[in-house]
Amino acid sequence: MEENAYKSESMQEDVPKKPLMTAVGDFFKKDLVQYIVKRLLMFIPTLLLISILVFFVIQLPPGDYVSAHIAALASEGEIVDADYAAQLRADYGLDLPIHEQYFKWIKDIIWTPTDSTYYRLYGSHHNWKYSFAYGRDVWDVVDDRLGLTILVTAIIMIFQYAVSLPIAVYASTHQYSVGDYISSIIGFLGAAIPNFVLAIVLMYLSYKWTGNANVGLFSQEMLQNGIHLYNFGEFLKRMIIPIIVIGTSGTCGIIRSVRAQMLDEVGRQYTLTARAKGVPERTIIMKYCFRAAINPTVSGLGGVLSSLFSGSTVTAMVLNMQIQGPVLYKALQAQDMYLAGAIVMVQAVLVVIGVLFSDIALAFLDPRIRYSGGGR
Amino acid sequence: MKKRLIALLLAGTMAASLIACGGPSDSPDTTPSDTQESTQQSTESNSGESNSEESTPPADEAAGFSEAPMLADLVSAGSLPKVEDRLPVEGDVFVDTTDAAGSTLEIGTYGGVINLAGAGGSWGLSRPVLEGIIRFNADGTYYPNVIKSFEHNDDYTVWTFKLREGMKWSDGEDFNADDITFWYYMCHLTNYDTKKSWAALKETVDGEDAWANLEKVDDYTVTWTFVNPKFPADFIENGDFKWCWAPEHYLQDMIPDSIYVENPYWEKTGLDDEQVLLNAQAKGIDAATVSDLGKAVAYYWWNEDGIPCLNSYMLSTKEGNNSRDAQLCILERNPYFWKVDASGQQLPYCDEIHFNATSEDGQDQLMFRSGELDIMEVAMQDIASLLADLGDQAYLRELASTNWGSYLITFNYTCKDANYAELFANPSFRQAMSICVDREQVSGLLTDGFLEPGQCAPQEGNFGYDAEWEQKWTEYDVDAAKALLEECGLVMGSDGFYDFADGTDFVLTIYTYTDLGLSTTAYPVLEQYYNAAGIKCATKDLEVSAFDQEIDNNDWYAVLGPHTAVGGLSLKSRVQPFVPIAQSAEWYGEYGTYYGTNGAQGVAPEGDMAKLIEIYEKWNSTPDTNERDQYNLDIYDLHKENLWTIAYLKAAGAYSLVSSKIHNYPELLVSDDLYQYQNIVHYWTLFKTE
Repeated sequence: MEENAYKSESMQEDVPKKPLMTAVGDFFKKDLVQYIVKRLLMFIPTLLLISILVFFVIQLPPGDYVSAHIAALASEGEIVDADYAAQLRADYGLDLPIHEQYFKWIKDIIWTPTDSTYYRLYGSHHNWKYSFAYGRDVWDVVDDRLGLTILVTAIIMIFQYAVSLPIAVYASTHQYSVGDYISSIIGFLGAAIPNFVLAIVLMYLSYKWTGNANVGLFSQEMLQNGIHLYNFGEFLKRMIIPIIVIGTSGTCGIIRSVRAQMLDEVGRQYTLTARAKGVPERTIIMKYCFRAAINPTVSGLGGVLSSLFSGSTVTAMVLNMQIQGPVLYKALQAQDMYLAGAIVMVQAVLVVIGVLFSDIALAFLDPRIRYSGGGR
Repeated sequence: MKKRLIALLLAGTMAASLIACGGPSDSPDTTPSDTQESTQQSTESNSGESNSEESTPPADEAAGFSEAPMLADLVSAGSLPKVEDRLPVEGDVFVDTTDAAGSTLEIGTYGGVINLAGAGGSWGLSRPVLEGIIRFNADGTYYPNVIKSFEHNDDYTVWTFKLREGMKWSDGEDFNADDITFWYYMCHLTNYDTKKSWAALKETVDGEDAWANLEKVDDYTVTWTFVNPKFPADFIENGDFKWCWAPEHYLQDMIPDSIYVENPYWEKTGLDDEQVLLNAQAKGIDAATVSDLGKAVAYYWWNEDGIPCLNSYMLSTKEGNNSRDAQLCILERNPYFWKVDASGQQLPYCDEIHFNATSEDGQDQLMFRSGELDIMEVAMQDIASLLADLGDQAYLRELASTNWGSYLITFNYTCKDANYAELFANPSFRQAMSICVDREQVSGLLTDGFLEPGQCAPQEGNFGYDAEWEQKWTEYDVDAAKALLEECGLVMGSDGFYDFADGTDFVLTIYTYTDLGLSTTAYPVLEQYYNAAGIKCATKDLEVSAFDQEIDNNDWYAVLGPHTAVGGLSLKSRVQPFVPIAQSAEWYGEYGTYYGTNGAQGVAPEGDMAKLIEIYEKWNSTPDTNERDQYNLDIYDLHKENLWTIAYLKAAGAYSLVSSKIHNYPELLVSDDLYQYQNIVHYWTLFKTE
């Protein structure tokens, strides 16, 4: 026993201890800075390519905003003559060849000069154009729901990680225990039930039990007076269903992957060695196995930023949540290409940035990963 | 419910056309004297004669006027003038005593909120509140509404509108003839409102388009002068001509010189396009171009907060609730609203109308069940379960349809492929397509028996109803259908399906558009019947704008559930559904384009299609109501004869579920574009009790 304690101490002494700041400094001094610069330069062609794809894919369906708009008016009993349609197309520049439309679009987003009507109207050098469907500046529409979208998805994400990681660690260290089985069953159920079905069922149950379906994130009162301390409880109550619905499906995925990775790591030779040397079990699991096991989860973080922005569209619609996803849906439906284009472009930028972050985080987590060629 | 409607409609609609356009007679004096009219309009139109004046207390019988407590508070705080000063002068106040179906309104109490589902499209916010030049009753009769009276000279070349003296915009400014000349010369003739093409104010002089001459006679009188006679159907009754005013004091700084049209009343504003956009932005109106701005402030003006209006409710200016896209969009009472109830209480009764946007139909129902909505439109398949669950917490109202049927199929008579065009033109083919379907079974399968079998025809109670027409070609007989197809020259192929006589395959491609969901509901059912009769078919389901494009390009064969179908109240409501005069309805395809473009494009109509236009032109050039009705019926006869569109079931009405807390929601209404759909409910007379 004593011998073991001695060994374990000496092993820990063998590892040179660096203050955290020095470690971070060292980390960034190496080839990483070069790597980041290279990646940042790569942004430009990547985003240009994406913008071309976005612009042309959005235009692929037959018709354009004007035809969609006229069809919608016809459904309301209004008859629109051909002259008006032509006038609209000319006003919006939809009668120009598609490549000209694209260049004009991208040019105005990158830089709208001070000497332009747009700048004088909105005081911004980045003209994302006008949303036909909402009758407002595109960036205004996007900005409208940005705060709420980030708040809601951030709460949901924190919930996901806070719940799933401990469960995954528990399940992997207690393989085939009752707890493991229960978490697996819940995990599979959560992953298998489509979000929107779960949402409908929960709204129905909420209505049955409380007399209120809790449709949407806000009560009428909140929509009129805003969220304050006195009604924050009600807001949280209304967050329960979205958290359960959107949160659980993600949670299940994370539990499954982290658990599997952990099981791999727990059986590795270095774990056996550490255990043989008497390193405390807690240290083995948390410091070595867990760190290695969350690699895939961390590399998946790239998409997280973008999902923060767009939310989960179908569930948001079922739950009547006024976040970004349904706006994109409406924009695509109405062929409101500038709005759809803006949302998809912002998402693309966020994915690119997210991937960069996750790569940096991976390198930090796993010293074996290096970025400038050759395994050193 | 249907039977009661029939009673009303049958009497009503027939009488309607007789009474409506000229009022009680065709003389220029048809409109009663001003004061009388404004105090009895609902009863007058009730039957066309002033048969029940005694039931309608004149305005001056009311012991003064009263107002909502919330307004009384503002008056006592000194921030709002007294109610008497906010209403038009005595005698010009509109006293609302009956609903659109002619029933006497219950005197209501003030307060509360009417909760509705989301506003929907561009017109959504206007439906419950829009106040038009005239107002229609459910039987098609009408009376002056915003204006106090209208009259015309003997040859229908001069129309005079008198306004209500002392009437005010929702911001307290006077509403007078200047607002009309401003609208006409600065907003309409400049095409600022994008609607210069409206037929109501346009005519043809020496082969060229010309517009009415508007004159301000005095502050409360204007005249519209035309070169040719302008008959009621093309002017006052024209469904497009809903308003002719704009708040001059508010819009002045939003009209640029670039669109100015010379006129005797208004000078150039001296503003360039950019300045106008900046001025609009300062008022919270976002527009990218002058055309967008004009459409927003002079056409869909109810969707912008802050624009003064004459409606019962106006869009709230509160950030977050002031857009139809907001999750909660609020309309607030107009403190200057010019209507009162029989006891002199200023309308509306309820303080606010709330539109609660939802993203799915089911959410409306959940919200209605939990008391968050007071009125919702409901699909027929949900009615039984909702009523059973809600018990006496809610009641159902049907707004009868003026559609000519449901599950309609029509064919491309100007199809590019000659084989198909010839086949579709043969009435025997259409008869075969009609009788090869077992309507009873279709009714059961698709509507749980809710909609009865029927043909594409005016529904019982509507103008032009004909029992024989309604049952024409509805008897199910597959063998007879096959014999008819062979009569058309089709030949049975070895695969069990008919081919054209020249041996080419006959495949009926049926177009649908996704919003209707017909490709997954009705099509699979109908396909079975068509196949059994030897007709091979396929479906092409398109997003609606792509669908419209195929129609416009004449790249189609048959359409299930047309986007713009034959049917409606009568020619009086709209002509395009019945006569091929525009690029509009599927059933006449390119024939309509021909007329609409003066022969520049499209296909010249022939046979009965051409006859429709001949009769329409006669209809259009006579002021005589009886004669016009006869022409209308002649057009209907051609439809009966040809059945260019086939219906399998009768038309579905519009159903509203109303909370029991809401009073004065009328029975026996009719839903039509001419009546502005839900507008006929008169939301300002609804009141709520807890």
